[in-house]
Amino acid sequence: MMERPVHLSRLIGLVLALAALPAAPALAHHSFAMFDREHATPMTGVIKDFQWTNPHVWIQVLVPDAKGAPQEWGVECTSVNFLRREGWEKDSLKPGDKVKLMIFPLKDGSHGGQLNKLVELNGSTASLPGYQ
Amino acid sequence: MRALALTLAVALAAGAASAAPTLNSRYADPAQPDISGIWQVTGWFSFSADKAIPKLRPPYDGLYAKRTTAFNAGKPIDDVTADCLPPGMPHIQVVPYPFEIMQTPGRVTMLFEYAGQVRRIYLDGGQPKEPDPTYYGTSVGRWDGDTLVVTTNNIREDTQDDFSGLPHSDALTITERFHRTAPDTLEDRITLDDPKAYAEPFTSTRVYKLHPAWTIGEYVCEENNRNQIQANGVTGFGVPTASK
Repeated sequence: MMERPVHLSRLIGLVLALAALPAAPALAHHSFAMFDREHATPMTGVIKDFQWTNPHVWIQVLVPDAKGAPQEWGVECTSVNFLRREGWEKDSLKPGDKVKLMIFPLKDGSHGGQLNKLVELNGSTASLPGYQ
Repeated sequence: MRALALTLAVALAAGAASAAPTLNSRYADPAQPDISGIWQVTGWFSFSADKAIPKLRPPYDGLYAKRTTAFNAGKPIDDVTADCLPPGMPHIQVVPYPFEIMQTPGRVTMLFEYAGQVRRIYLDGGQPKEPDPTYYGTSVGRWDGDTLVVTTNNIREDTQDDFSGLPHSDALTITERFHRTAPDTLEDRITLDDPKAYAEPFTSTRVYKLHPAWTIGEYVCEENNRNQIQANGVTGFGVPTASK
């Protein structure tokens, strides 16, 4: 009986947090020069590891290559505090989760990028933001 | 009778409270104009929001050109913050992480979420004597009406003004004018006077918004830093570390 209002207030908090997304970009502790921020690119894969750490939260994703073999990609997110203010939690992603992300890929073509946003989680639409 | 006295006391206290100026936070100093609270910069995080830069003197112009070329190639160099070293002044004032201003008698203290950094601004002459250069330098402040004027010098040369790698020398003196232009808006007019590195003083005005509902979180940069600078000076993008 007592849990329901807690959950409701949490939901309202999340909605408010998403509605109040800052116009300023969330940031890194280093320059963004390595990322191609002109081209947000979709990425579909399975979560291998979700590192809820500073200075960056990291999403390790297994993405099938052209032959269907899984390749590990590292997706750099902003800091724990920034993501928390935007509605993320430490268990927002778990190993085995199927995700669709938008990323700003590394300019050198290696397997990594910067999170733009999470758009789909286990087949459901999601809207957790990353870097704007 | 006792109840009446209590009622009067409460009414008097309430009257006194409503007559006092509204403070941003519980960490204001009633003896100073109030700039306390949790603030976050607006706009892009180059030193100037419009990305304007000072007129650089040699060899600083060449150094910045080299960094800009590397930056545009996606291989940023010399970015000490990638190794979790502090951004220092003036860089800390333009990173978009929030910071908290606390005011106490004779002191304004800025507590930055970014790597848990601190600026101590001395209003009472308590600053260190004959200090060596440091990341944040030595900051002395005074109130000019409702504007806090802060002069900072003794700043290390091996930090940069922003993530683009804009350099300064150890001759840099920074003058800041903090002023609340609205209840939820704080302006910092920042002038960089660096006769060794810049042909003339350079000023940028940055605007911060108040976030009364926020708290400042812990941020330990060394916890899981996968961006260490590589042997060639380029910022890394590390391989996955063990799950935390």
